[in-house]
Amino acid sequence: MKKLIKIVAALAVLGAVAIGAIIFMPFSRTEPLTELPAYYKVPEGHGKYVMRMADCKACHTADGGEPFAGGRPIESPLGTIWSTNITPDPENGIGNYSLDDFRAALYDGVEPDGTHVYPAMPYENYRKMSEEDVRALYDFFMNEVKPVAKKAPETDLAFPFNQRWGLRLWNWFALGDAGHEDFYDDAVLNRGAYLVDSLGHCAACHSPRNAIMAQDGINADDSNYLAGGVIDGWLAPSLHGENSAPAKWSEQDLHDYLTTGRNSHNAVAGEMSQVVGDSLQYATDEDMTAMVTYLRHINGKSPSDTVAVANDKDEDANAAQDETTKLLASADPSMPLGPRLYLDNCNACHFVNGKGADGVFPEIDGNSLVTADTPNGLIDVILNGAVLPSTEKRPARLAMPDFGHRLSDEEVAELATFVRQGWSNDAPAVTADQVAAIRAKTH
Amino acid sequence: MSDANFKLNRRRFLQAGAAGTMLSAGYASGAFAKTATPALSEFTPEFFTADEWKFIMAATDRLIPADGEGPGALDARVPVFIDGQMAGPFGHAADWYMEGPHDPNAPAQLGYQSPLTPAEVYRAAIAELNAWCNDKHGSIFAELDKATKDSVLTALEKGEIKLESTKGANFFSLLLQNTKEGYFADPMYGGNHDMVAWKYIGFPGARASFREWVGVEKPYPLGPVDISGKRG
Repeated sequence: MKKLIKIVAALAVLGAVAIGAIIFMPFSRTEPLTELPAYYKVPEGHGKYVMRMADCKACHTADGGEPFAGGRPIESPLGTIWSTNITPDPENGIGNYSLDDFRAALYDGVEPDGTHVYPAMPYENYRKMSEEDVRALYDFFMNEVKPVAKKAPETDLAFPFNQRWGLRLWNWFALGDAGHEDFYDDAVLNRGAYLVDSLGHCAACHSPRNAIMAQDGINADDSNYLAGGVIDGWLAPSLHGENSAPAKWSEQDLHDYLTTGRNSHNAVAGEMSQVVGDSLQYATDEDMTAMVTYLRHINGKSPSDTVAVANDKDEDANAAQDETTKLLASADPSMPLGPRLYLDNCNACHFVNGKGADGVFPEIDGNSLVTADTPNGLIDVILNGAVLPSTEKRPARLAMPDFGHRLSDEEVAELATFVRQGWSNDAPAVTADQVAAIRAKTH
Repeated sequence: MSDANFKLNRRRFLQAGAAGTMLSAGYASGAFAKTATPALSEFTPEFFTADEWKFIMAATDRLIPADGEGPGALDARVPVFIDGQMAGPFGHAADWYMEGPHDPNAPAQLGYQSPLTPAEVYRAAIAELNAWCNDKHGSIFAELDKATKDSVLTALEKGEIKLESTKGANFFSLLLQNTKEGYFADPMYGGNHDMVAWKYIGFPGARASFREWVGVEKPYPLGPVDISGKRG
């Protein structure tokens, strides 16, 4: 018995030493990837462009708040994480940050006093950023952003997640090497990969998360790379594989979707609306082409491939498609409630064939939001409607109205189940309880 | 006499209605519950006094009687619609130009010429007409027999009864117009109860798209749906 106590005590001491080491060992920040010459000057406008491509605004500007003053709540499975003030205010923002401090925040997720930031900040991706872009961002935040003397709310997660030293362990497991390696013999593909993996931090939503909630699929050779993720219950669809948009859509469709939020198949909704509105619409044509070319490349499409998707579905899918279209067109009073609700509420825009109209009304048939495993996004859009972002090329804020006031939870469930299983769609049914939960959460 | 501006501005009409539903519907459990509407005889008007209400019930019942082919004005709860309108922005001419001069002989394109709002027109006209009926027939309008009611309304329509109190507004035309509106408007405004008027004429309601029915030579099979999503 005494022996056992001794062993336990010894283990406890060892554990304490290990934790002590984790907490108190000095932290070494990642060095600059390249030494820029002393005379290096950030090209005019480049800072703002990098900020837009990295979409700093999406998290660091609250709805109706001052630019970059933080205070936007980010709902994570661990609790609410508040974005911080990154204006150059010395007290409340990052005004006292040196370039090295700034780089450490981007690359290592560490503030100057050693505090670890939560990986809601996608430093997993930003650590691939080139030194030129780090400099450009630093220059932008120090010189082009108005300081805001206001503290953003403190993030206060429950134990054990409030023990930020634990993130040192997390970083040790989750972080790869800093920097982005040019993988291709092709400047366009390399640029596309850089934008997607680094600044665009697409994997933050479009790759799944692993057991420790790190991005599972951060590099092109990871098996789950851009294989689709779930964010706040919404599907961030897979960008990889035969059913993914980059595989199915034409180059032009991808280009249109990412820069204007709409194309001949779909219209953007949820978090991606902000990405289009705040970030992607500002991509230069060259950069957008690079991203699109890259996303198509990883799906085995070369720029010269013209897409032939129109009728590549198998016969069963085509028959199912016809059957739903015919049922709706019949307006038969004996039809079940689901299709009846579709006729009463959806048909005016999305039509009996579920195909909508190019650039205006998204397709229901084959729509990833409609058929997502987790139907939260679909339910949310039916209950609360959706608005397209206004972009320079397509300024109209086209909107779908909300149907929450018109349909009960049971009716929304019937309708959602119908659209998830109508035409060639084949996704599990939705229950009234699921609808009630989303209604309570989004109301 | 002009009645041009009695015509509801359609946009306003929809806006007012939408605001109304948002206020009244809410998201509470009651929103979708099938609450039984109290009988018309139980209804407490918001705008009309008890005497005025009797008149509205009696007059609309003669304008669209229940003994015809389809539902009558009372089946459709037209009086409820008119009461709601008189209590709301339309009754108060909320978005009309109501400053003078008011010239009853002005050409029609100069618009509404009475200084009274529609609600004031109803109030004044009903009082004057009841007094006229009392004087000529010994009782208020609501208590006359059908034939006499019809003769009073006909005389009013033809201008044989001249109402002084409405100061140039054509009360009969306003009443007839509001009765038709209450009969056919979306049920959210209180009339067209249960979409009875829509069902009667075969109007499919607020479904908004029939593209696939263009050129189909048979009646559309589905019953109507109203703006609140209710199916009739």
